[in-house]
Amino acid sequence: MNGPNVKDLALLLPELILVCTALALILAARRIQKTPWAAALTVLAAVAAALASAWLLSGGSKTGFGGMITVDAYSQFFKVLIASALALVTLLSVTADRPSRPDPRTHRPKDPQTHRPKPRPAEYHALLLLASTGMMFAASAVDLLILYLGLELATLCSYILVGITVEKPTSNEAAIKYFLLGSFASALLLYGIALAYGATGATDYAAIASAFSSRGPGSHRILLAAIGLLAAGLAFKIAAFPFHAWAPDAYQGASTPVAAFLATASKAAGLAALGRVCLVAFAAEARVLSSVLAGLAGLSIIVGSIMALSQTDMKRLLAYSSIAHAGYALLGFVSGTPEGAEATMTYVFLYVFMTLGAFGVVIALGQRGESLNGYQGLAAQRPGTAALMLLFLLSLTGIPPTAGFTAKFVVILSIVRAGHLALAVLAVVCSVVWAFVYLRVAVLMYMKEPQEPAPSYFSVAVYTALAVAALVTIIGGIFPGSLATWVVSP
Amino acid sequence: MAYPILTTTTFLPLVGAVAILLFRGERLARWIALGTSLATFAVSAPLYCHFDKTSSALQFVETANWIPTWNIAYEVGVDGISLPFIFLAAMLTVLCVSVSWTAVRTRVPEFYAALLVAETAMIGLFAAANLFLFFIFWELMVVPVFLLIGVWGGPARVHAAVKFLLFTLSGSVLMLVAMIALYSEFGTLNFRELAASTLQPTLQAWLFVAFLAAFAVKVPMFPVHTWLPDAHTEAPTAGSVILAGILLKMGAYGFLRVSLPILPDAVQLFRTPMLALSAVAIVYGAYVTLAQTDIKRLIAFSSVSHMGFVTLGIFTLNRSGVEGAVLQMINHGIISAALFLCVGMIYERTHTREIKDYGGVAKLAPAYSTFLALFCLAAAGFPGLNSFVGEFLIVGGAFKTQVWLGGMAIWGVALGTTYLIWFYYRVVMGEVNPGLEGLKLELNAREIATLAPLAFLAVCLGLYPDCVLSYLRETVGALPGVTP
Repeated sequence: MNGPNVKDLALLLPELILVCTALALILAARRIQKTPWAAALTVLAAVAAALASAWLLSGGSKTGFGGMITVDAYSQFFKVLIASALALVTLLSVTADRPSRPDPRTHRPKDPQTHRPKPRPAEYHALLLLASTGMMFAASAVDLLILYLGLELATLCSYILVGITVEKPTSNEAAIKYFLLGSFASALLLYGIALAYGATGATDYAAIASAFSSRGPGSHRILLAAIGLLAAGLAFKIAAFPFHAWAPDAYQGASTPVAAFLATASKAAGLAALGRVCLVAFAAEARVLSSVLAGLAGLSIIVGSIMALSQTDMKRLLAYSSIAHAGYALLGFVSGTPEGAEATMTYVFLYVFMTLGAFGVVIALGQRGESLNGYQGLAAQRPGTAALMLLFLLSLTGIPPTAGFTAKFVVILSIVRAGHLALAVLAVVCSVVWAFVYLRVAVLMYMKEPQEPAPSYFSVAVYTALAVAALVTIIGGIFPGSLATWVVSP
Repeated sequence: MAYPILTTTTFLPLVGAVAILLFRGERLARWIALGTSLATFAVSAPLYCHFDKTSSALQFVETANWIPTWNIAYEVGVDGISLPFIFLAAMLTVLCVSVSWTAVRTRVPEFYAALLVAETAMIGLFAAANLFLFFIFWELMVVPVFLLIGVWGGPARVHAAVKFLLFTLSGSVLMLVAMIALYSEFGTLNFRELAASTLQPTLQAWLFVAFLAAFAVKVPMFPVHTWLPDAHTEAPTAGSVILAGILLKMGAYGFLRVSLPILPDAVQLFRTPMLALSAVAIVYGAYVTLAQTDIKRLIAFSSVSHMGFVTLGIFTLNRSGVEGAVLQMINHGIISAALFLCVGMIYERTHTREIKDYGGVAKLAPAYSTFLALFCLAAAGFPGLNSFVGEFLIVGGAFKTQVWLGGMAIWGVALGTTYLIWFYYRVVMGEVNPGLEGLKLELNAREIATLAPLAFLAVCLGLYPDCVLSYLRETVGALPGVTP
């Protein structure tokens, strides 16, 4: 084992770019009062980080920092994905931070006592950048401690992001709920790491794997507990059943771009970490892991679908949608094979863009987008926006030729190959429930009369983000093979 | 061949739909839709002229690399079974554009765009040479039809649209699993390659059931037909025409394209239950039709009975039955489309679908009554008109298989004649209903031009059925499991 080397820092180029931008934003916070500057800087940093991640890969896989950090196709794939999600969420935040005009119907004057200054944009963007940094560390980690640190950095920033709209009581409540449950999950994760260390004497994945292989297949009770605790901690991060309870409240209370960030980047990072832990560190226990993951996936899909049926709040609906989609994404890991992991990678990639698109439309509609009834008659007022929403909803349902179909096809193929036919049937039957849930929105948009005045037009930044999401959703559906060269299991 | 005919035919309507959505003028949308659908019909013409009727092979094949990592290519081609449906889809879309010219007044550009997307899905489905493409077009079809019913339909349109969607998707997701199971077994989804490989009988049985779920809902077969009356009744005229003319044929086409060639052992295993369900659909559908008081519901339920003949013909598994089934699909596509067009045209003037509000239409609209008479007789299987030949072949095939099946089919034909003649009598004959006095019911030139091609086809196929049968003879003969 070599000690850390200055050259190793080059491996962390994407993370360094994000951290430096975040620090610059914090230092200049007092000078940056207008969102566009902070947003532009963040988007630039995200794009630079994505390019740097891709560029680092050109030299092949490398490991650094004494075998704690790796740079391989798997990690860089997720880093590019996280950076893209960060860029899109930043673009989507541009309207959300715009000071809202007073309600024309009530004309309530602003009370100087209760009106607090809005959070400064620099801090908001710095938190987004730091959270993304943590997620990137989690994708690169080949050591349980680095994994824990990365995830904690991401989660701590997320707690604050959820509560950053300080004047909204629901936002504070959501942040506290998220924090309480999140700390519990972090404790579980840490406990799992401690048990794994106790049983194998190591925290890095390769050493854990070799400890397993030297011991033979008969598994140790402590190790089983460690696997269970680690799975529970990571299931919380991706909001899989039964660790999903925080998601609807947090998404509803948080501002919509933050909810979008939690539903996409955060989930991608959690799945990246879970994939590497399952396939590298605990590969020897594939049988146990497979049944644990199958249970998590199946129950997430069922619970997400059933709970979504009765939602009337769009963000809660999307929260349950993200729970069910976490279940679908986990299906790939159930088989425990590299093909399965690649299926999950494809799923996550396409899911991130279509979910960001759906959240983007919610953001574009402003206050009206948050409740399901706000969608009534949208197609008559804003045909373009309604068509985009229809596209994203069809994709989330998995109707071809959209990206969602490609995603569904690859994960179901992987579990059929693994011999879990019943799980495959369950997954597709629940997608019919999802069709009902999503198309209820389509029914409201296309088949009801408008009840509210048309929403105002949204900014160019939101427009750009929606266009990118729509483009990926369409291309991913028409050319399902376009991701194939990029998805490489760990 | 100077251009890729099938690809052009398939995607030209999609181009038209995009153009309509980009330009967004109401008048312009109508003209673009008419132009596109006529152009699509025109570019598909070489298919019918240059088709080699002596071969059962796939013709006009076009292949392109699509998803190399999955070993799935873009492959299209036609054989004798799929070709007539492409003709039917291209023709009916033109008529749908024409019949909606004044009937659709709200969100006109979106309406025509949805119609053209549906045309792409229909033609693409019949042209697909692998199961993956077939599935994509199968699912793509659902979205525009859902919107056509739900946005431009009657009072209970939302209920009908959602019911249609849930029924269809419940079936097709099981088809997705079956498709994936086939893919993971053989690593290919090409129809010919799948047909050439052999599968374990148990796996075949499971796959048959999964495909059956998708196909039976679309046909629709007896216990899962309940979406059809609602959807057909609430849909706008063009939607009903697309539903009755093409969408119902997709299920039966699926049996011929997937179940018979790829799962031959399972087809033998499930043959008797399928025949029994078909016989039940014929007789039950006919009795329910007799009881209807709403014109559109009546025609919708008659489709259940008529499609029962089609599935009966397919699962007789003899040449006469299968040829009759394909011919009958075309016939039903022509006639039910024509009947829905007739109903739509008169509904545009009277705004009622209750049979009791009609009567004596013959005195007010002689040309209309003549057309309706022709189509009712054709639907009832009157000799000299097209359905007669199809039903004759199917009943012949049924008698060869089991005598009681032939008996049931004859019973269905008799009931069919009864409900159609009685329907015609109540609407057209007798004294003029006071509610209709003063209405201008007679057809205008555009409407006559819409109905005339269908009337011509009904007579033409009745007198010279070989113009369709000659196309499908070789292909049906080459289907595995079909006895001469």
